[in-house]
Amino acid sequence: MSAADPLQVLASAGKGESTRSVLRVIILALIAGAAISSRLFSVIRFESIIHEFDPWFNFRATKYLVANGFYNFWDWFDDRTWHPLGRVTGGTLYPGLMVTSGVIYHALRALTIPVDIRNICVLLAPGFSGLTAIAAYLLTNEMTPSPSAGLLAALFMGIAPGYISRSVAGSYDNEAIAIFLLVFTFYLWIKALKQGSMLWGALCALFYGYMVASWGGYAFITCLLPLHSFVLICMGRYSTRLYVAYTTWYALGTLASMQIPFVGFLPVKTSEHMPALGIFGFLQLLAFLDYVRSAIPSRQFQTFLWLFAGTAFGVGLLGLVVATSMGFIAPWSGRFYSLWDTGYAKIHIPIIASVSEHQPTAWPAFFFDLQMLVWLFPVGVYLLFQELADEHVFIVVYALFGSYFAGVMVRLMLTLTPVVCVAAAIAVSHLLDIYLNAKSPENPDAAADKDADGKKGGKAGLKSTNKPLVGIYAGWVKSVIVSSFAIYLLLFVMHCTWVTSNAYSSPSVVLASRLPDGSQHIIDDYREAYQWLRQNTREDAKIMSWWDYGYQIGGMADRPTLVDNNTWNNTHIATVGKAMASSEERSYPIMRQHEVDYVLVVFGGLLGYSGDDINKFLWMVRIAEGIWPDEVKERDFFTARGEYRVDGDATETMKNSVMYKTSYYNYQNLFPPGQAVDRMRGVRLPEVGPQLTHLEEAFTSENWIIRIYKVKDLDNLGRDHASAVAFDKGVKKKKPAKKKGPRVLRVE
Amino acid sequence: MRLLPTVLSLLGCLSTTALAAAGGSGGAKPSANLRKLPPGERFNLFHGKATASSAAAPLKLVEADYRALVATPRDYSVAVLLTAMDARYGCQLCREFQPEWELLARSWTNGDKQGESRVVFGTLDFNDGRDVFMGFGLQTAPVLFFFPPTMGPHATPSSDPLRYDFAGGPQAAEVVHHWIARQLPNRPHPPVKRPINWMRWISTFVVVTGGATASYVAWPWVLPVVRNRTVWAAVTLIAILMFTSGHMFNRIRQVPYVAGDGRGGISYFAKGFQTQYGLETQIIAAIYGILTLSGITLAVKVPRIADPKTQSIVFVAWWSILFVVFSLLISIFRTKSPGYGFAVPPFM
Amino acid sequence: MKTSVVFSAFLSLLSLASAATTSSDRKTYPSTFRPPQVFKNANLVHIISLEKNYVKESINVLVENIDKSPQNEYYVPFTADQLSRLGGVEVKDRKDGSVGPFVAEAVELDQSDTHYIRIRLPKALAPGAQQALGITYYLLKAYAPRPASIKQEDQQHLAYAFSAYAPSAYATSKQKTDVKFPSSTIAEYTKLPGSGDVARFPQQQGSKLTYGPFDEKPAGASQPVAVRYEFNKPVTHVSRLERDVEVSHWGGNVAFEERYTLHHRGANLSALFNRVKWQQSQYYQPNTWALKELKFPLRAGSADAYYTDVIGNVSTSRFRSGKREALLEVRPRYPVFGGWKYPFTIGWNSDAKSYLRKTPAGGFVLNVPFLEGPRQAEGVEYEQVQVRVILPEGARNVKFHTTIPTQSIASADVEIHRTFLDTIGRTALIIQARNLVDELRDRELLVSYDYPLSASLRKPLVVFASAMAVFFAAWVVGRVELKFDVAGKK
Repeated sequence: MSAADPLQVLASAGKGESTRSVLRVIILALIAGAAISSRLFSVIRFESIIHEFDPWFNFRATKYLVANGFYNFWDWFDDRTWHPLGRVTGGTLYPGLMVTSGVIYHALRALTIPVDIRNICVLLAPGFSGLTAIAAYLLTNEMTPSPSAGLLAALFMGIAPGYISRSVAGSYDNEAIAIFLLVFTFYLWIKALKQGSMLWGALCALFYGYMVASWGGYAFITCLLPLHSFVLICMGRYSTRLYVAYTTWYALGTLASMQIPFVGFLPVKTSEHMPALGIFGFLQLLAFLDYVRSAIPSRQFQTFLWLFAGTAFGVGLLGLVVATSMGFIAPWSGRFYSLWDTGYAKIHIPIIASVSEHQPTAWPAFFFDLQMLVWLFPVGVYLLFQELADEHVFIVVYALFGSYFAGVMVRLMLTLTPVVCVAAAIAVSHLLDIYLNAKSPENPDAAADKDADGKKGGKAGLKSTNKPLVGIYAGWVKSVIVSSFAIYLLLFVMHCTWVTSNAYSSPSVVLASRLPDGSQHIIDDYREAYQWLRQNTREDAKIMSWWDYGYQIGGMADRPTLVDNNTWNNTHIATVGKAMASSEERSYPIMRQHEVDYVLVVFGGLLGYSGDDINKFLWMVRIAEGIWPDEVKERDFFTARGEYRVDGDATETMKNSVMYKTSYYNYQNLFPPGQAVDRMRGVRLPEVGPQLTHLEEAFTSENWIIRIYKVKDLDNLGRDHASAVAFDKGVKKKKPAKKKGPRVLRVE
Repeated sequence: MRLLPTVLSLLGCLSTTALAAAGGSGGAKPSANLRKLPPGERFNLFHGKATASSAAAPLKLVEADYRALVATPRDYSVAVLLTAMDARYGCQLCREFQPEWELLARSWTNGDKQGESRVVFGTLDFNDGRDVFMGFGLQTAPVLFFFPPTMGPHATPSSDPLRYDFAGGPQAAEVVHHWIARQLPNRPHPPVKRPINWMRWISTFVVVTGGATASYVAWPWVLPVVRNRTVWAAVTLIAILMFTSGHMFNRIRQVPYVAGDGRGGISYFAKGFQTQYGLETQIIAAIYGILTLSGITLAVKVPRIADPKTQSIVFVAWWSILFVVFSLLISIFRTKSPGYGFAVPPFM
Repeated sequence: MKTSVVFSAFLSLLSLASAATTSSDRKTYPSTFRPPQVFKNANLVHIISLEKNYVKESINVLVENIDKSPQNEYYVPFTADQLSRLGGVEVKDRKDGSVGPFVAEAVELDQSDTHYIRIRLPKALAPGAQQALGITYYLLKAYAPRPASIKQEDQQHLAYAFSAYAPSAYATSKQKTDVKFPSSTIAEYTKLPGSGDVARFPQQQGSKLTYGPFDEKPAGASQPVAVRYEFNKPVTHVSRLERDVEVSHWGGNVAFEERYTLHHRGANLSALFNRVKWQQSQYYQPNTWALKELKFPLRAGSADAYYTDVIGNVSTSRFRSGKREALLEVRPRYPVFGGWKYPFTIGWNSDAKSYLRKTPAGGFVLNVPFLEGPRQAEGVEYEQVQVRVILPEGARNVKFHTTIPTQSIASADVEIHRTFLDTIGRTALIIQARNLVDELRDRELLVSYDYPLSASLRKPLVVFASAMAVFFAAWVVGRVELKFDVAGKK
């Protein structure tokens, strides 16, 4: 039925609609193909590998699902993360992604095509991007009669870097499928709204449920649809169509969303979901009033009714506020709240602020991700104002909020991209429709009254569209516009390809560098170290590292970790931060109490690798300080002049911290005496490196990116390690170790 | 580290003023006898001063009182803010924190007239106690020192003060209150009482009511504006352009409006992909606006021009604007991300 | 000439295939069993070569029948432990090589530490007659590193204990034992009082120790001696190798995949791994006992080789494919020291033409190397090897023949393997072998099977039909009218 509306449009266009629809299908298929293939850079350049950090968990969870079946997955308690707490994984994740690829996996099995689950996970995102392009096509076709707009939108959607950034092959993250669901849910919503059909509403609710199961970003839909309805109501556009569509969606969709354990009763308890509920109630009220009004035609009564409605709305809002303040309704969750109060996260939740993708967006990022769409986007929005039908209002609202959120958080560029593509496509197609029109009007006055849709603008319309549409006279004008936009589109495609291949296609697990002779050299330290851990350490050896690497260790090294990227327990993370930030003597008890066997740090000094732990160290300190303000102080890591240094002038606290010691231990021996330099920080290091007492170097990868240290066992003679090391070095001890006998763990 | 500039400025003036003050740092005389007094009386003395009037706390100390106040042995705690309010030092942070500090000290002292918590709040300005600053080797201000008691029930082993840094920018009184309260276990902690700001309430009330009446009166005139689609379109477009040109980034990161390049001129565009200046974003917004406008004109206005000649002229004008400005935009972007290889004439 | 080999081997397929299967079930004798004293070792030379990281022993013995009647069963004793590590037993006639390898099978006694290998002489030995036997075999996991853990920059030493008198179930009138070492630096060795004109044993010439000659010794006599010597090379031990050979007639391709479970049985590190020392040692003294690289010589024409492990592709590999041979050089992700593991997988494709022959009878013969491990100077030992030959779907009447010593073949059977677009599944021949070493690299494996045309056409037909079905279903669904009333107003 996707092709239905364009067909009706084409019926007016005249003959050959079937050939056109065939052409359209072919073009769509090609676009989907382009969308998929443009995301395969990393597979071609490197290999079919899972990227980044979070995808490694999704991958691991998917393997668990495939191996142990759905119900075991549902109540999966993972004791190999968050040691010793463990994690109720089944109840704390969005299962949509894993279930999707699990289903695909079993379907292929049934077709006797045993594809490795890894390849399915790697290629899931590109596959769904093809579907997203088609969904964008459908959504756009609901917006404009122009048949070309949809195809353009599909094309933009397919190759816009803003979306590619999260959907290249291997980035097996929730967004991979969520964006398709987002766009398709919106399409169904528009469909339901336009037809006032319960069927479409139910479908919308169904896909909304799928979305909820897939991504935490579903809150965007949960807030956008009510907002759209509210705006429509305020514009006096209340209609039974709206009533049917919204109520169907809300009732079914909420029920569907509550089936996800992770969501549970949030839809009726948290503020994010309250707008939807409020509008739902308000719509009931309006429906009632509408009925009454239709029954009793009296002006005063109507005005009274409207007042009543307004007050009721106000009262409801007030009640909501009260309920929130009384605590019946949970206030906004931190992540979500930080979207409104932009300063909030930095002060209160450093963990959220520390994530790079939660930073605000500078303008180059917008241009980088959208190129010329960024200015075509407002044009399209403006054009939608011409005839401001209900669905157009939706796009306008979406555009406003999408661009706001994208400005606040880099990551939410993702939710903005679809509407940008739709609007820009409308703009471009409008231009082309006008300037590609072969026949020119003969003479002005004749054209003026002949042109039928001159009145289209009307009184309510835009000022600019009051005059009748004439058309373009000069042929060269048309050719100029067409050629220039052809060039622009070509440039856009080149831009997208360039961005994708240069910025978004490196799997951050494997680093690529160029040798002098220009050939590619793979730096594979992560996997080297993880493989070493996996093969040559105890099956249940606990690894302590910063939370960024938790998922990778779980996925590749298959060893229990203390913290990982699912940052649900701030205190636990702060504990690790404290252990990293304080001196060996102080952190040794922490490690022992958490049964840590190995400490893993990432060090970019030799290679000039920027994403290493010394650069992240301040965040560890801040997070730890948030919990133990007396024991860890960020100030102590800055020199008296307030600089953050790692060389000879580093503060004592810095030099004694476990992180500093483990990063630079033995590093100076790699250089001739006094020549040791940190290529990342670009500073010269002191001649004598740090000495370790409670840890010992266990493994260091080829380029020193990963360094693994073994936590020493308690000393056999009951000495503390410092004196033990001193003794082994043959240093004369001041006072002999008096504690013989049972080995005890000293806790300062 | 927004503290940094003030740090450096203060550093400079410290070194100079230190030399100036090297000669006569008198005034230690009267404090000698004060220091003799037993701690109990000293506390009563200072506490009396502090509670003399509601605005007395925190005590404005000079070096002598300071030395007397923190002299050991003491059976009371002292919280002293070392600050530099003088305009010369340009210590922004000091001025920002001062009212909070006074609020805290007053509400605490008035909250505990009997002095059960046995805390004295004092402020020592840089001008009045250079040597104290020297003594601590302070290079930044403000710094809050807390001297725990060395005798009596709450005595702590070490007599040297605890230091509170303002690395995180100016702190609210409550935060500091929390910190001090942590240092004073099992003693009353009078809470911070912010005075109710009547003026604000009244003004807001007036504004609201006034606005309401005004809108009611002006409704017939307002209504068409509210109903006017063009207005809404304009508002929407402006908002979108603002957001897409990185306005929120400026809001959150408080970026400078412009910055000077090394050679005395001003650089409009920040180096680097992740940064931007206030003016920069406005330029970009303007560019986007022009492009959008030309796009709209080409799409909506031009085909509605009845006269072929004017149509062609208008078209050429707007089209060339579009062409040039877009190429300009790309060239600007090239300066931001050096690796970017594409360009459109004329700005190659 | 290759084809002739194929066919000559092909003729003898039936009998040998059956032999392989019978060797899988060993007969156990009562513990009271003793080999009848019908033979006497007139002269015996026992050569123990310790050059590789496994032990290769060869016993050249001149046996004489001292019984009244002709005898054809000669027994060689082994301890139970030795028997479990024993592999590649081959017995030849020293005089004429034309006589193929004699049948040698294990004879196990229950509750007894002594077991035997029984050698069947092809024709019984007449009383008083003599026959020269050459018995060679390999012992895996034979060494212990001494000291067991050393520093990263130290040299590795191995120790090996054996008997100066060759193990024999019969009286031996004259014998000597030669021990060959990888280098002439032999740290320690047991000294024995000499006999005859030799002052004392052993004598050393270069990298070789000689115990003996000894005079008359009774059956089962043993004289334990031990040697300790420098072996600064990795002691590579593959505890399990799974080798898949997949034949595709449509693709005209033979795909190989080998999964190695690799251990280093050498000395452990006394201190933990130190990268600085390692990087420095790369310059100063490159030869180390850590495993740094494996070289796989492949058949010429092998293509698109890959090298992965459980995490994914390993980038540190080079593949050079030349006219004469293709060489795959792989380096482990990290240097493998004693006690460390490194499991990995390699694979490659090659043209079926060089492996597959069509017989006049209409069947096919596949001739692949039984084992294609790395070729290392220090040698590689394989504890368990599973070779799985996956034949095309519908292949029937599978027989095989291999030149691997039958004593090492544990079992062989035919199973069904289901994979891409299979309906009935592919025929897979699975051979389990144990205790092999890399000296047996180029022993060949011949598999013959029938593959009728109908079977080869099955897959395309099935795919075509199912695709048609899908299209038809889609067409039907497209016809279904979803609206309730056609005249419904919008």
